Amino acid sequence: MALLLDIATTAALLFIVAAGLFVIFGVLKIINFAHAAWLTIGAYTTVLATGMGLDPWLSLPLALLVGGLLGALTEVAIVRPLYRRPLDAILATWGLGVVIVQLITLGFGRDMQMPPALMGGTVNMLGTPYSSYRLFLLAAAVVLGVVFVLVLERTRLGLNAQAVIMNETLARALGMNTGRVRMITFMLGSAIAAVAGVLLTPLSSVDPSMGISWLIGAFMLVMVSGTSVAALALACLCFGAAQVLVSTWVSPILGSVTVAVLCAVMLRLHPKGFARD
Amino acid sequence: MTENKLTIDGLVSGYGALDILQGVVLALKRGEILALMGRNGMGKTTLLKTLMGLIRTRGGTIALDGRPVAGKPPSWLLANGVGYAPQELPLFQDLSIRDNLRLALRHDRDLPRALEHVSCSFPFLLDRLDQKTGTLSGGEQKMLILSRAMMCEPDLLLIDEISEGVQPSVVQRIAAALRAEQERRGVSILLVEQNLAFALDVADRWAVMKLGRIVDGGACEAASRQTVLNHLSI
Repeated sequence: MALLLDIATTAALLFIVAAGLFVIFGVLKIINFAHAAWLTIGAYTTVLATGMGLDPWLSLPLALLVGGLLGALTEVAIVRPLYRRPLDAILATWGLGVVIVQLITLGFGRDMQMPPALMGGTVNMLGTPYSSYRLFLLAAAVVLGVVFVLVLERTRLGLNAQAVIMNETLARALGMNTGRVRMITFMLGSAIAAVAGVLLTPLSSVDPSMGISWLIGAFMLVMVSGTSVAALALACLCFGAAQVLVSTWVSPILGSVTVAVLCAVMLRLHPKGFARD
Repeated sequence: MTENKLTIDGLVSGYGALDILQGVVLALKRGEILALMGRNGMGKTTLLKTLMGLIRTRGGTIALDGRPVAGKPPSWLLANGVGYAPQELPLFQDLSIRDNLRLALRHDRDLPRALEHVSCSFPFLLDRLDQKTGTLSGGEQKMLILSRAMMCEPDLLLIDEISEGVQPSVVQRIAAALRAEQERRGVSILLVEQNLAFALDVADRWAVMKLGRIVDGGACEAASRQTVLNHLSI
């Protein structure tokens, strides 16, 4: 039972961490290598907020706000001129990530931070005591996935985003302000990544380079998922399961690279990954 | 108010270092249908894209009702009464008919009125609003493209090779829809075409484009056919 729950909650965590990158890549076709920095910014929002005596849960809306604002600023100042040069955009966002990490180091030092956990304790799951926080993550991932699908399929913003993904020239010819769709998308992706950073704090060491360890796995998951939310969820479930099984039965060190290695193998054998088209 | 709906004078535009349009001079009167013809690669589609603000103007002027509009973005032109039916990748194939129509509207609340307008020309679309566009036949897709351009009731329609690859019965329906728009609302239409019979049947005047310039034109009458054919023959 514990193993099954570990698989489900690991998949949920991977989904939450990759979601921001997925949103930006899906619509903008830009690999945002500053994603690791957004995760770190989210985590340090928790450090700052709890250091000021605020309830740790308030870190979530604060990170949403900070991530969104910084995302908008980044889109306008750095990413917008580089949409036609995706390789340069990768370099620029990588450079931005390095700068942000250095600024955080300057402000908070290199030491590991220990903000209070959002939630503690265990819940009895069919006779197995299990971390209530990890179960909360599972619920959070499901809510995030449902919100993704609802926004994409039921809102005008989602329809516009789909149009930009499918054919931006036509979307522009129909009078759509595709620049605004891009900026809102980058804002949302950055805000979701910052919230993911908050959610990581009870599970991961909080230090200036914490985001890097999550970046490659998230990047590879997005690569095998294309633009489909369902494909991302499936990829997180399959490769999250593999990570848990390898960590449990073989070695936790090998487990930590399982997702990246399996995604690379999948892309070699089936370039579209889990995406249908 | 000027007699011309659209006035193009010395228009130059192109891609990269190449000027495709090399000084286009053309006028479209109010309520008139003008068929613009020419062989492939002569600049007809580039002209429509330039008029729609999708390609930057490099020289010359474009006036809509006498107002200069060169450099205006597509959103401005659509909001000011221009409708566009493109030839290249004209529909979102994975979206439904309803969503394809919604995307041409600024607000979803305008959809019922737009659908009412669509129902006048192509009522079959209303029965299949949830059908994916990619599953429509070629002719049905063309009718959807035209419906989308017409549903906001524009004063000026720019239509790019709407009859291409379409069976004769559908071409007749399209011709009837265009004539109805002209008679009912006095819409002006710039119709880029390769289908000579359709173009001369539906249009009031014709013009021929060669290597980025208008080289000839006249009224659409029986004698026009051979003149245009001479221009189009290789």
